[in-house]
Amino acid sequence: MAIASSQPNSPAHPWPSLVPKTGMIVTLLFVLLLLFMLDIALGSVHIPLKSVVAILFGNETGQVAWEKIVMTIRLPKALTAVIAGSALSVSGLQMQTLFRNPLAGPSVLGISAGASLGVAVVMLASGGAANAFAIRQLGLGGSWLIVLAATAGAMAVLLVVLGVAVRIRDNVVLLIVGIMVGNITVSIISIWQYFSAPEEIQDYLIWTFGSLGGVFGSQLAVLAGVVTVGLLISFSTSKPLNVLLLGENYARSLGMGTFSTRMFVILATSLLAGSVTGFCGPIGFIGIAVPHLARSILNTSDHRFLMPSSALMGAILMLACDIIAQMPGTQTTLPINAVTALIGSPVVIWVIVRQKNLRASFS
Amino acid sequence: MREYFLQTRELSIGYRSGARKSLPWKVSPHPVAKIIAEDIELELGAGELICLLGPNGSGKSTLMRTLAGVQKPLGGSVLLKGSDVGRLHPKETAKLLSLVLTERVTTGNMSVYALVALGRYPYTGWMGKLAPEDEVIVRHAIETTGTSRFAHRHIGDLSDGERQKVMIARAIAQDTPIILLDEPTAHLDLPNRLEIIRLLKTLAMEQRKAVVLSTHELDLALQAADRIWLMNPSGGSASAMVSAIPESLVLDGHLEHAFTRNGFEFDSHSGSFRFRHEGGHPVGLIGEGVPAYWTQRALERAGYRVVHGASDIRHVEIETRNGKRNWMYVSGEGCQPVEKGSLDELLLLVSESQNEGKA
Repeated sequence: MAIASSQPNSPAHPWPSLVPKTGMIVTLLFVLLLLFMLDIALGSVHIPLKSVVAILFGNETGQVAWEKIVMTIRLPKALTAVIAGSALSVSGLQMQTLFRNPLAGPSVLGISAGASLGVAVVMLASGGAANAFAIRQLGLGGSWLIVLAATAGAMAVLLVVLGVAVRIRDNVVLLIVGIMVGNITVSIISIWQYFSAPEEIQDYLIWTFGSLGGVFGSQLAVLAGVVTVGLLISFSTSKPLNVLLLGENYARSLGMGTFSTRMFVILATSLLAGSVTGFCGPIGFIGIAVPHLARSILNTSDHRFLMPSSALMGAILMLACDIIAQMPGTQTTLPINAVTALIGSPVVIWVIVRQKNLRASFS
Repeated sequence: MREYFLQTRELSIGYRSGARKSLPWKVSPHPVAKIIAEDIELELGAGELICLLGPNGSGKSTLMRTLAGVQKPLGGSVLLKGSDVGRLHPKETAKLLSLVLTERVTTGNMSVYALVALGRYPYTGWMGKLAPEDEVIVRHAIETTGTSRFAHRHIGDLSDGERQKVMIARAIAQDTPIILLDEPTAHLDLPNRLEIIRLLKTLAMEQRKAVVLSTHELDLALQAADRIWLMNPSGGSASAMVSAIPESLVLDGHLEHAFTRNGFEFDSHSGSFRFRHEGGHPVGLIGEGVPAYWTQRALERAGYRVVHGASDIRHVEIETRNGKRNWMYVSGEGCQPVEKGSLDELLLLVSESQNEGKA
């Protein structure tokens, strides 16, 4: 970017550059590639990195089983991790800026809760045992029905929030409305659970653990397509989000269209968080934590750089969590949702306490 | 004819409170409006520094918001360089008028340079990338406000005074003929207040900008403003504003009228407010010039009524011998004068003799 060529015109105070450490993006890309390979290589069956690279580039390795494992299971899972991680992180970043709240994440607008309600409707209230049996036959995470239900639920909650957003100008009020709509949704689910059979509740609970392993073929293509659209909309909101950091009044006085910005951000978030929740279940922590990591490491508040680096860091963190969840060398796997919180939270606490600028970002 | 940057025509400002109450079964054709001021005719030209004065709650912020196009007027219009602010696209308004608000910008992770650069928002493309000309303007704004020393620092690390200068730099970078500032000197200490006012004065004079600031600093406003806009000078429920040069506002008694409360009085000599000293025990004062002035202030503050030149009651006489100042206190007729070398000793003495008199 041309901004980097800022010439210091007084030796005492060289003008600061608006571009943060540019080498960082390259480093992040490298780490992402490395973890992507490792994620494919590690698992209950260990496949050497060399063979992973060979298989990915379409070379013969003489190991048909490995090729099958890589191409049908681990590659889709790694891709899903990359997509989910970047989608949740970018939508979290937008939510935190829009609501000027460090605890905001993709779930604050009730999107995850809406998706959960959709899934709960399918799993808990499927009417008779026959129906429930049919759904279980389809296979849990991979079922289109579940995905559609989750997306529909997310959309329903989102329409409510959008309806409120059109009428209410205050973002803090909107935030509270989003959280309350989420609460209502969660309570409907618990009432439903209370009156449901234990095995139905169990199915639902397993879905809430989250899973990266259930997205294959056409589902992966749909997820990738929706997330790409969502990310493009998100990147286009970088400039208005930067002035929104000054507060809504300043943003408006600079000519920012508050309404259109808010609508674009909500649309992008619902596409990103809604689709990922639909396909992978409600994955927590990543959306809240990664934007803080990105701000800490890049030491900037410029969304033109925070967006791509949040996407990269989200993908990296998600891959790392997935590697840990596979428990390399053992036959067990942990639920991804537990790993993201268990491993990720201390990392974030450490980074933030060390850098001491979480408060600087928001207060 | 002079070209005005900003003009108001029969402007009335206030709030429409009835809009929300118009439920389907309770249709009110004319929503109730709370008019704060009406028939406002203001004109603002290049190089003018205007101070907007008025007591709390007199509608300064409402006027500011209406002028900026953030709030709709109840009637009349606001013209920015001849075009109605209500019909301008926000992007066009942003090129004519910039704002400095009272709200504290809390984004700590943003450098001063990046914040000032955000002032270029209306001019940059969809990604907000700065062209070389934009960078020149940003740097000029930083140098004008004397903030280049901390251009690399984060907003969160600045003092209130530094932060206010940065916000003004951002407004300058927005490169608008009009700058509106809402209480830019609030929360600042005196040197910072003076510095901000001086900076704004320079901006108006050298860059021919039209600057409007609302403030409670009456004395600063009287010294620096080319013109004062005074809210609600008659103290009525709704009234027009007065726009005049500071000196005639004082002479016409408008300022006194607008601000005088029980217990305070506006001193037309100094252009500042003083506690009103009524009653109190009389003390005579004999002396001249600055020492007499401050002796009077001290006595009045302590609750006495100062009578100039009276030597037949208890009184204070100021004497200067060999360049040394002495206060002679005579507690009543025929009493011996007591000499004190400092004002605080004198005050102590006066109050002691007062208490003896009571006993």
